[in-house]
Amino acid sequence: MTRARRWPARSLSGQMALLLALALFIAQALNFTLLLRERRTLRLAQVTGPAVARLVDASDRNTSGRSQGDRLGGERDGHRSRVRRLASAPSVAGLDRETQVEAAVLSGLREAGAPGSRVVAILRPINPKDPPFRRRSPPPPDVDQEIVIAAEQPDGSWLMTRLPWWGGEAGLVWRLAMQTLILYAAMLLPVLWVARRIAAPLRDLTAAAERFVPGDDAPMAERGPPDVTALVAAFNRLRARVTAMLDEKDRMLGAIGHDLRTPLAALRVRLEGIDDEPDRRRSIGLVEEMDRTLDDILSLARLGRPGELATEVDLAALADAVVEDFRDLGANVTYADHPRLALRLRPTMIRRAVRNLVENAVKYAGTAEVRVEQDAREARIVVADRGPGIPADRLGAVLEPFTRLEESRNRDTGGIGLGLALARAIAREAGGDLHLRNRDGGGLAAILALPR
Amino acid sequence: MADTPHLLLVEDERSIREPLAAFLTRDGFRVTQAGDAEAARQRLSAYAIDLAVVDVMMPGEDGLSLCRSLARAGTVPVILLTARTEEADRVGGLSAGADDYVVKPFSPRELAARIRAVLRRVRAGEARPMAQAQAYGFAGWQLHTADRALVDPGGVTVPLSTGEYNLLLALVMRPGQVLTRDQLLDLTQGREAGAFDRAIDNQVSRLRRKMEGAPKAPDIIKTVWGGGYTLSAEVTRL
Repeated sequence: MTRARRWPARSLSGQMALLLALALFIAQALNFTLLLRERRTLRLAQVTGPAVARLVDASDRNTSGRSQGDRLGGERDGHRSRVRRLASAPSVAGLDRETQVEAAVLSGLREAGAPGSRVVAILRPINPKDPPFRRRSPPPPDVDQEIVIAAEQPDGSWLMTRLPWWGGEAGLVWRLAMQTLILYAAMLLPVLWVARRIAAPLRDLTAAAERFVPGDDAPMAERGPPDVTALVAAFNRLRARVTAMLDEKDRMLGAIGHDLRTPLAALRVRLEGIDDEPDRRRSIGLVEEMDRTLDDILSLARLGRPGELATEVDLAALADAVVEDFRDLGANVTYADHPRLALRLRPTMIRRAVRNLVENAVKYAGTAEVRVEQDAREARIVVADRGPGIPADRLGAVLEPFTRLEESRNRDTGGIGLGLALARAIAREAGGDLHLRNRDGGGLAAILALPR
Repeated sequence: MADTPHLLLVEDERSIREPLAAFLTRDGFRVTQAGDAEAARQRLSAYAIDLAVVDVMMPGEDGLSLCRSLARAGTVPVILLTARTEEADRVGGLSAGADDYVVKPFSPRELAARIRAVLRRVRAGEARPMAQAQAYGFAGWQLHTADRALVDPGGVTVPLSTGEYNLLLALVMRPGQVLTRDQLLDLTQGREAGAFDRAIDNQVSRLRRKMEGAPKAPDIIKTVWGGGYTLSAEVTRL
């Protein structure tokens, strides 16, 4: 639960959407990297070709000595008009050099056999008032930079030409983002729909497994994609098997109960024939204890099966009634009166739990004090005694079935400690718990807490 | 009727039937045994049986069915022996028209005491109770026999001790009838432990306190001076 909350994409549809988004993004990024590279190669070719042609042309005429001024060829033709002669290398301070272009132009000049030991290519913003652009072709609207390419001549002067430079890489990123978003919109909705179609039956399955009470409700409807329906069908079969097993267990326990009670009843009848009174009493006590233990085992084994329904019950009257039953049998048990306290519970089961606690106290301490407490969250029945208590390190152990503390709580009859385990199981089934505590001044307090 | 009451003991388990018959014979009864319902019917037509002790779980026709047919005939009172602990099963027996029941393993002395109590009631000419209902309603309260629950007019279950329940059930099943302390002891204290008149008084006062704890609780259980107790409210079978 906490993990799911911290990481919302843990749900099936979330993970599928996230994974798809990631895959789409990577594919788009690869796509655009390739596109970008192609565009750059193209741009390089578009710039390098004319630049080399102009520079070769101009330097040819330069070496033939026809031109003297800083402007080559005046305005007679396009090529020459775009090449200027500079006395020294153009200033590159604060501007970006395009080394790829430099290298390409240099190798182009060499191939053409034209002079040029050094080439400088720089990018700069277009000045709209610049005559060549203003007069001839105005720059295309998406071009706001020009590239200036200058080649050093053997005499130390530089020939320079300018060409428009398509930037557009920021635009590309935008297009990547837009395209990706459109893809997301087109893909994610169907993916989410499919994921939900898978996830909804899975959620139902989880819920059905959580509240599974054998034999309680109908099997789940098999819907969704085939993989999921197969899972639901398997769950339904599992559930039928579990129910059948539990029914079988109930039948077996019923048979065991009957088959053990019959000889016990026969034994009980025969015990009346024992003449020695103390011997007879002890033997009867043993049979009664066996009967109670058998009852505890059967109850523990049946716990959690549908049975008694929860109703509004006065917990104070319940504790009182249990105490009264013990007093009627001559046990020394006291009850501290408590006003009516209505709770929703299964009265027979809770009564059983309280009876076991009192029985335990009476068995080990001879007396028991029972009281009812409440606060905003829970109601408690406290069964306290002044017996030997339980060593602190064994307090948990006695709540496990079949544990008995031979060393500290000696008893003359045989038997297993099922009473407290059953009481705890009943309390937990009711959403509460059973706590044991050693009392100040000696003795044990068993606290049966139930949620309000 | 002879001085020695004649019992019919219907029980399929010989290990229980024979020692029990021996005990009851020693205790002053004449006992005829039957191993199943068919044999029981033969004995019933052959002898003048005063009371039948019937095991619930028997192969063939079970004890409840036999009990129902005996209750319909209305001549032989029945005490059921049951091995099941589920409360509903115990009461199933009473709603089948049994006069009383004991749960295995039972004390033979307690069984003998209960047999005598039922015979005493029959001899005194007391009306045998009608087959027990699932629930009784009186003055807004309900007494459910299946789970031995007293439910107040607001729908809240008020658990009762066994003694309190038995006392209230005895009163509810005989509305308007005055029951003396002796009769109440007889009806409610099947166990061998000696019970005293004061125990009845004590239980009545406890019952009154529990029922007065809720709103709109009139004096449902009335004390009859010099006599005993009676349930003043009108009772309906639910």
